Amino acid sequence: MTMISEYISYPFIQRALIASVMVGILCPFIGNFVVLRRMSFFSDAISHSAFAGIAVGALLGIDLSMSSILMAVIISFVIAFLSERTSLSHDTVIGVAFSGSIASGMLIMGMMKGYRADLFSYLFGDILAITQRDLYIILSVAILAIVTMLVFFKSFLQITFNRELARVEGINVRLFEYLLFFIIAIVVTVSLKIVGIILVTSLIIVPAAAAKNVASNMRQLFSFSSLFGVLSGIAGLAGSVYLDTASGPTIVMISIGIFILTLFRGRAV
Amino acid sequence: MDALSVDNLCVTVSGRHLLENITFSVKQGRVVAIIGPNGAGKTTLVRAILGLIPYQQGSVLIYGLPAGDGELSSRVGYVPQKLEFDRSFPLTVSELLHFTVPPAFSFPFHKRKHEDEHIVRLLEIVGAQDLKDRNIGGLSGGELQRVMIAKAIVNDPGILFLDEPSSGVDIEGQERFHDLVMRLNKEHDLTVILISHDLNVVYRFADDVLCLNRKLVCSGKPAETLTDEVIKSIYGEMMGGYIHSCHDHD
Repeated sequence: MTMISEYISYPFIQRALIASVMVGILCPFIGNFVVLRRMSFFSDAISHSAFAGIAVGALLGIDLSMSSILMAVIISFVIAFLSERTSLSHDTVIGVAFSGSIASGMLIMGMMKGYRADLFSYLFGDILAITQRDLYIILSVAILAIVTMLVFFKSFLQITFNRELARVEGINVRLFEYLLFFIIAIVVTVSLKIVGIILVTSLIIVPAAAAKNVASNMRQLFSFSSLFGVLSGIAGLAGSVYLDTASGPTIVMISIGIFILTLFRGRAV
Repeated sequence: MDALSVDNLCVTVSGRHLLENITFSVKQGRVVAIIGPNGAGKTTLVRAILGLIPYQQGSVLIYGLPAGDGELSSRVGYVPQKLEFDRSFPLTVSELLHFTVPPAFSFPFHKRKHEDEHIVRLLEIVGAQDLKDRNIGGLSGGELQRVMIAKAIVNDPGILFLDEPSSGVDIEGQERFHDLVMRLNKEHDLTVILISHDLNVVYRFADDVLCLNRKLVCSGKPAETLTDEVIKSIYGEMMGGYIHSCHDHD
C-alpha cells in the first residue's frame, strides 16, 4: 500500500495514469466504429503514416506532434479518395499507403545526421515520458473527437450499418466518412506516445473487439469498450511499474488478456 | 403531381448500356411492380432513381424533386434486395429504429418518450413488436424484412421502394410480407415500387406493371399487359404458359 502511494506521488506516474485513463476511453470509443466497419488495417496504416510525419517534422525542424497529425490526416484522406475514385480495392490502397509511409519515414530518418533516439521512441512509445503538454493535447483531441462523434452519432451509426440506406435516408455519407477518417487519424497520432507506432492500433482495436464479444446492444458496446480500455491502461501501467517491464507492451498484453477472457463468455443479456 | 416521374433515363457502366430510354410515371398511392429477367436492369433502375448510381441521360423526379435532394429523404423509404451488414453487430431492433428517427443530431443514448412510443407503434404496424429488444443479427429473413420495412417508414414516407423484398423468405413469410405492404398502401396511401420475380405477386398486388429488359418492354395493368407474347419475349418460351396458370389461380 505504501509502495502504491509512493509511486502515485510521483508527477510522471500521475501524468501516465491520467493519460492512460483518457486514452483508455478515447481509443476504444473510436475503435468501436473501426471494428464495426472492419477498418483495423486502416488504423494501422494511419499510425505508420504518422511515422513518416515525424520524420518529415524532424527533417524540417517543426513540431513533431503537428507534423505527425498532419501527415496522418493527409494519408487517411488519400486512402479514402483513392478507394472511392479508382477501381483499386480498399485494402490494396491501404497496403500501398502503409508500406509507402514506413519506407519514406525510414529514408528521411536515414538522411538525417546523427542518431535521433527521440524519433525512435515513437516506434515503441513511453507512457512514463508523457509531459504536461502531451496531456493537454490528448485532452483536447479527446474532447473534440468524442463530442463530434456523440453529436453525429446517429449518422455515423447509420453509415456503419449500411452506407446505401444511409444515403437514401439523406445522410451525407462522403462527408461523414472523411470526418471519421480525420478523427481516427488524430486519435491514432496523439496515442502514439503511449504505446508507440507499432502497437497503437491495438489500443483502438482490442478493447472494442473484446466489448463486441460480450455486448448485446450499442450502449453495452460503448460502456464495455471504455471500461476495458481504462482497465488495460491502469493495470498495464501498474504491472509495468511493478514488474519493471515496458509500459506499452504491458498495457497491450492486459487488453489481449481481457479479449481472450471475453471469447469464453457469451453476450450479455 | 406524380409521385415518381422518370424521363428518358439511360444508365451506362463501363461502356455497357444497362438501361436505355426508360420513361414512365407513377401516381400517388399506386402499387407498381417492376418485372424482367435476371440482368434486365431492375435493381439498376431503382438504384438510379434513388441516386445511388449515376445516370448519363434523362431525369428522375420524386414529388417534383431530383433524386438526392435533401428534402426527399423523409419522403422516400427503401428496402434493398440483400441487406449487407455485419451479423455480429451488437445492435437491437429498437436501437436501429431509434438511430433512424430524426433529429439526426441528438445525444445517442437518450431516448425521448415520444421516440419510444413511435418505435413501438412502427413495430406494431409491421407485426414485429416482440422483436423490439432482439439483436438485428439474430433475426430470421422474414423478421428482418419486417424490421427493415419499419425502418423504411420511420419518417412516414410517401413512396416505398422494395427490391425483391421477399427473396429468401419462406412462403408464409412472403404472404405476411405482401399483406403488410398492401395494408400500408391502403391505410397510409403509400406508393409502392416493387421489384418482383413472382408473377403471382404481380397479378395479386400490383396496380401497374413495368416490364423491363434493358428497355421498357411494356407497361400497364398486369391483366392487360402481361400477355403470353410479352411474357415469352421477356422470359423466353419456358414461361409462355405461366400466364394461364396465374389467371386460373386468381
